Amino acid sequence: MSAVLETSKLSVRFGGVHAVNEVDLRVEEGQLVGLIGPNGAGKTTCIDAITGFVRSTGEVRLDGEDVTRLSAHQRARRGLGRTWQASELFDDLTVRENLLVAARRPSLWGVAKELFGAPVTKTEATERALELVDLAWAGDMRPTDLSQGQRKLVGVARAIAMQPRLLLLDEPAAGLDTHESEDLGRRLRSLVDGGQSMLLIDHDMGLVMSICDHIYVLEFGKLIAHGPPDVVRRDPKVIKAYLGSAAAELADEVDGEPARAADGGER
Amino acid sequence: MREILLFALLGLGSGALIAGIAVAIVLMYRGSGIINLATGGISMLSGYCFWSLREGEIASMGTVPALLVTLVFTLLVGVAMELVAFRPLRNAAPLAKLVASLGVLLIAQASMLLAFGSTQKPQPSILPSDVVTIFDVNVPVDRFILVGIIIAITIGLVALYRYTRFGLATRAASENEVSALLAGLSANQLSMVNTVLAALVAGSIGVLAASVTQLDTVSLPLQVVPALAAALLARLTSFAIACAAGIGIGIINSLIDYLSTQSWWPTDHGVPMPGTKELLAFLIIVAAMFLRGARLPSRGELVEQRLPEVPKATKILQPAIILTIVCAVALVVLPYDFRQALINSMIGTVMALSLVVITGFVGQISVVQLALAGVAGFTVSHMAVDFGIEFPLAPIIGAAVAVLFGAAIGVSALRVRGVSLAVVTLGAAVAISNFGFVNRTWGGGDTGSPVPQPEIFGIDLGTEAGFRGIDGNLPSPVFGWMVLVVTVLLCMFVASLRRGSFGQRMLAVRSNERASAAAAIDVRHVKLVAFSVSAFIAGVAGTLYAYNFGSVSADRFGPVTALALIAFAYAGGITLVSGAIFAGLISTQALLPHMLDKWLGIEGNWFLLFGGVILIFTLLQHPEGVAGAFYKSREQRRARRAAAAPPAPPAASSGRPVATVGVDS
Ligand SMILES: Nc1ncnc2c1ncn2[C@@H]1O[C@H](COP(=O)(O)OP(=O)(O)OP(=O)(O)O)[C@@H](O)[C@H]1O
Ligand SMILES: [Mg+2]
Repeated sequence: MSAVLETSKLSVRFGGVHAVNEVDLRVEEGQLVGLIGPNGAGKTTCIDAITGFVRSTGEVRLDGEDVTRLSAHQRARRGLGRTWQASELFDDLTVRENLLVAARRPSLWGVAKELFGAPVTKTEATERALELVDLAWAGDMRPTDLSQGQRKLVGVARAIAMQPRLLLLDEPAAGLDTHESEDLGRRLRSLVDGGQSMLLIDHDMGLVMSICDHIYVLEFGKLIAHGPPDVVRRDPKVIKAYLGSAAAELADEVDGEPARAADGGER
Repeated sequence: MREILLFALLGLGSGALIAGIAVAIVLMYRGSGIINLATGGISMLSGYCFWSLREGEIASMGTVPALLVTLVFTLLVGVAMELVAFRPLRNAAPLAKLVASLGVLLIAQASMLLAFGSTQKPQPSILPSDVVTIFDVNVPVDRFILVGIIIAITIGLVALYRYTRFGLATRAASENEVSALLAGLSANQLSMVNTVLAALVAGSIGVLAASVTQLDTVSLPLQVVPALAAALLARLTSFAIACAAGIGIGIINSLIDYLSTQSWWPTDHGVPMPGTKELLAFLIIVAAMFLRGARLPSRGELVEQRLPEVPKATKILQPAIILTIVCAVALVVLPYDFRQALINSMIGTVMALSLVVITGFVGQISVVQLALAGVAGFTVSHMAVDFGIEFPLAPIIGAAVAVLFGAAIGVSALRVRGVSLAVVTLGAAVAISNFGFVNRTWGGGDTGSPVPQPEIFGIDLGTEAGFRGIDGNLPSPVFGWMVLVVTVLLCMFVASLRRGSFGQRMLAVRSNERASAAAAIDVRHVKLVAFSVSAFIAGVAGTLYAYNFGSVSADRFGPVTALALIAFAYAGGITLVSGAIFAGLISTQALLPHMLDKWLGIEGNWFLLFGGVILIFTLLQHPEGVAGAFYKSREQRRARRAAAAPPAPPAASSGRPVATVGVDS
């Protein structure tokens, strides 16, 4: 298998804080990779570094090509599609336009033609993405009219509509209830089964453990473990890092109990 | 050497003026996060108040009673400003606050124009007029007293902020209003006290300034530009630096006066190069912005209100055709003065359209648009006068030059945005106007520069074309038709721009630059193109202005007019083409002011006053402007009608509880 994304010695410093410390990640073609860790572990910063939103050292390779020196929008064009922890939508556009503006990159000629003809209002990619997150009914609404969880899904759909090589999702299930979150998990999994490569951050252990092919665990900016879900959940270092409620969740998982039934709506 | 010393000491006077206004700006910003463009305007108000009380315009009081009444008046102005304009906008976007201060400035200027006319007033100096001799040079003693007063005020403010509970509270609030609230301090009271203090500082400048500058409605208000330069050097936080920088700028300005008497100083038609001081202020602003950090220190505020919405036009062609027919007929049948007013309205519409693109669609306030129009207008004139290039090549070149300037501003806008951009472009507008337009070689000097009639294939398209409409008077409807065609085409262009994918990208950039980059949008590219497009539109308006008046002069494109234009564009609806049309109708010398003048005898300055009032009213009540308010009520009616048969989301999704879980845990 070939790696879609590969980072080597990826590091980010904020003053004295080493938010990401020499992280080597690898996402294979068509794989769903999880990135977990306690609060403040550096997961978001790691995605920021991969997608070019924060100054970093080390190397990021997309399909074997070094993209370290490219700016954020250039990396997005190369196929790094991401979502944000706080949905960060375009509130002035409708939900469908949010997707459209990301999905389409018309040439100058295309833009000029639009001035005279009717503008494009949807594409196959936007409709499929909306369908996937079950928000086709909200296409003409404003993001501000949606709930927080739905806004997150619009963000996910926007990234999907870009048809990226790698989809990087930062806590897409935050704000969804248990049922919806499981539902989203199934949909993401089916997207991956269709060939999409994906990097997923989430605090919902049940979700991550159940759908990921491979999991990386960050703590204090450092990778402390990685491997298939079964291996990672038994790793003593990981259990130690997750002391507290999440550790109990992990242990529950080990015992084969459905962990999320225990803690209800908490994600 | 002696002369240099003399001029440096003389410069203390205007330095004190700039320093005082700069300190007031800083005070206001720290107190309520507003960059108050009206600070110089308040000085002017107090100056007029004192003059009218002292010199028999209203009363003939003695100096002390007049001073006291003026202080009370200034205090009331501060309170009114805070209560009417700034307090309701406390949690609004910084840009809205800046525009509100613009409204205050317009109201101040227009009311003084209405009350006392535009001639300069002989304001009495209350400082002694003795002369002291230092190192053999004779310097009026009032310069030193002025500087002394300003320094004393500054020291007082520094002490107030450092040692009193009020000062500590303001500092806490400016860092984090939430924590200030938690500490039980009322942000409203803090803001009020700071605003009133700032008004008093600015007001005393206005009274004291008599020995340095004249009393009119333009000089003092525009001192806000060098004062902004000083305030920015102080990062809008340090009173001491603002004061020192202000005095420094005054001294440098005075030294420029001295140097310009030297033989090597560049001249223009025998007079020293004009506008060098304004250019200096602009360069200092740019340097302060770029070198000392691209952003202003941000204040921890509670909420940030979004900019007004940008509705899409559902139909473009139909209203365009109707508008064209109505105006084309009106241009023939209307009497000549209304014809002229209609033409002015159309050109005003084009001007406002350029603001719709850059401010409405991309969210960047640019004060420089009218100056860009001027650049195009003067280019047209000089093409004809200096190179014999006339219509239609000249206006094309004119618009192209405007685009070049606009793109250059756009490049700087890549680093500064929002409020900072407004300040930079204000500096640029003043500099271009004084350094460029007043210059007789590049611009028009005092008299203006002629523009020949547009003509193509022997057909006269100008204001003096043969066909004169029903009443047989100037201007010719033919010129009006040309303006009409251009206006309608540009309206359609901007409306379809909004609907197309580039419009979506501009709005995406306006909403969220970070997310735009994640959506593979090149933010810099979008901004640059938007600046160029809006500069082009402004350039077209400038060439139309030029042909309309048959000449171009600096005062038509001055910064005060530019600020009024923004007010009108905001009031009309800064995000809509229909808003631009409305802005055109209410702008200076346009149809609505003309009708009011003709039928009700309401002169133009009332309209300026009115413009300022509706600007503030719009900001508070209808941020989307008059046209936007119409649009909204229509939408609401539609929604009510549609409510009978709701296109509901599928039951499964509609019942979702709104999640309130934090997103960052
Ligand atoms: N812009 C910034 N400036 C300074 N420090 C930052 C910045 N962004 C993040 N940090 C710090 O870097 C560390 C990693 O933060 P990050 O947001 O990446 O964690 P995370 O794993 O995504 O946490 P969470 O699960 O809460 O989302 C934290 O200690 C955080 O305080
Ligand atoms: Mg995070």
